[in-house]
Amino acid sequence: MTASEPATPTVPPPLERTYDPAWVEETARSNGLERMGVRPRLGEYLGELWRRRTFIRVLAVSKSQASNQNTYLGQVWALLTPILNAAVYILIFGFILKVGRAGIENTIAFIVVGVFFFRFFERSIHAGSKAIRSNLNLVRSVHFPRAVLPVSGVLAELTTLLPALVVMCLIAYFSGLLPNEGDVPLAWRWFLLIPAVILTWAFSTGCAFIMARLVAQTPDIDNLIPFGTRLLMYASGVIFSIDHFLGSFSWGWIMKYQPVAVYLELARSAILNEPSAPLDPTMWLIGLGWAIVFLVGGFLFFWQGEETYGRN
Amino acid sequence: MAAIETDEDDFEIDAEDLDDSPVTGSVSEQLSLLVNDLHITYRVFGAKKVGHGPAKEQSALQKFLSRGASSQQGVREVHAVRGISFSARHGESIGIIGVNGSGKSTLLRAIAGLIPPAQGSVYVAGDPALLGVNAVLMGDLTGERNIMIGGLALGLTPQQVKDRYQDVVDFAEIGEFVNLPMKSYSSGMGQRLRFAISASAVPDILMIDEALSTGDAGFRAKSKARINEVREAAGTVFLVSHSLATVKSMCERVLWVHQGQLVMDGPAEEVCKHYRRFVVASREAAKAKADAEK
Repeated sequence: MTASEPATPTVPPPLERTYDPAWVEETARSNGLERMGVRPRLGEYLGELWRRRTFIRVLAVSKSQASNQNTYLGQVWALLTPILNAAVYILIFGFILKVGRAGIENTIAFIVVGVFFFRFFERSIHAGSKAIRSNLNLVRSVHFPRAVLPVSGVLAELTTLLPALVVMCLIAYFSGLLPNEGDVPLAWRWFLLIPAVILTWAFSTGCAFIMARLVAQTPDIDNLIPFGTRLLMYASGVIFSIDHFLGSFSWGWIMKYQPVAVYLELARSAILNEPSAPLDPTMWLIGLGWAIVFLVGGFLFFWQGEETYGRN
Repeated sequence: MAAIETDEDDFEIDAEDLDDSPVTGSVSEQLSLLVNDLHITYRVFGAKKVGHGPAKEQSALQKFLSRGASSQQGVREVHAVRGISFSARHGESIGIIGVNGSGKSTLLRAIAGLIPPAQGSVYVAGDPALLGVNAVLMGDLTGERNIMIGGLALGLTPQQVKDRYQDVVDFAEIGEFVNLPMKSYSSGMGQRLRFAISASAVPDILMIDEALSTGDAGFRAKSKARINEVREAAGTVFLVSHSLATVKSMCERVLWVHQGQLVMDGPAEEVCKHYRRFVVASREAAKAKADAEK
């Protein structure tokens, strides 16, 4: 090192350059420029989301296919996991503790329908909470309405649910042939399962929107989700009859009419032949109401945070 | 500062790999980008106390007790970009240089609308696309799926993606690997595929973050041709690179960003000359320090 060379590296002073805001706005307008990093208007946002519907579908199907890719059985796990899950609950709550038998004629079918439906809801919540965080790379490289992510996350769960529903119906039907269990006859009302799934889907998407924004802004909430869903599981009568255990309390009606319990009852009233879950038009209206409230409310809530996603 | 750790200024690319013909494009008078007094702050979780040397030794109890009191250390605000203003025109290709951590990539992401500004404004014509080597699409899925997802995310229709599918595969030179999950790709293959996907749509503004530092000479030549296509379609190209040779061969204008601020904006030759002087001086200073410690 010779003495002539500079001892310390020098950086030129920063350019003190800012434009006049009025000039910026005028120039932006005359050049047809659009402002970035601001939330789009609701109508535009919905339109953009609609144009990306193929993207949503492809993303959902791909995710659903990729989810069990690292196992030997692959997609079989999509069916096996809920069956094993239900089997554990049937064994413990139905046959050992007998909680699932009180006030129920066909425990197996009751718990199977409850577990399969609740699992869809639970996994949708998880999909929503992961929507932004696990796709941060995508969020930080391409510009698209972020609502695509929670919507496709729940849609991926729905694609996993549909084949599982066939298994669910088969189990429910054959459990009716067992001597100790109530009959589960095939009937036209089984088709009501379709609107029940659609309503549950709409509701779950709404919840996923809410979770997506909450977890994107406060990652700590992600750790609370398992406790929340566990609590909801016991509060929604997945494995026992709410009427029978909570009906006598003055607050029992809250449990009965909260959305998750409503959707479980709708699904059961379509498939099962249970006196505790009769076909009830009021329940269908309540289910529709919850679906609309959560879907619209959740979407608006998510949209209001649109410009903040991808910042952490 | 990576630049001072090596003996070469252009350690990623041999200068002779790049032809010297300057990139040509017709620069119009119309602005395609206007950035005014841009500030970006990041929220960083899990940040530790910033300081020199390891933290003071504490007993387990002290650590536990102090955790609540100093909880603000868990989340830190990082002021990555501090008041940058500039404008760009259609057909321009602009290089962004600066040492590591100077805010180049953050600036690029903010221009692309991917990070909301804390203060100031960004005005853009059309839809910008950012092309980074770090942007993993979905590692569990095959290249073929990723081409579809990437294309749709960029706003192409499914038919357009299908039409361009073969082009993307050929451009990325991944051949049969297109049917394997992306996580099985070598890093070079992944980067080439990402570039090919991003380049399949001709965006109004193409931003390239270090993407060209990988790949062989042939791939870089193709990339350069692709960039020229974008510029001919009246697009603007931004290129972040540590390689001055790349920047000089691809860009006619260069922004030098230092500690989140714009310190120089001008013709590529001139800014690169100053930057090189700074890098050389930094390296000498580091050497002198190392000698002094001996």
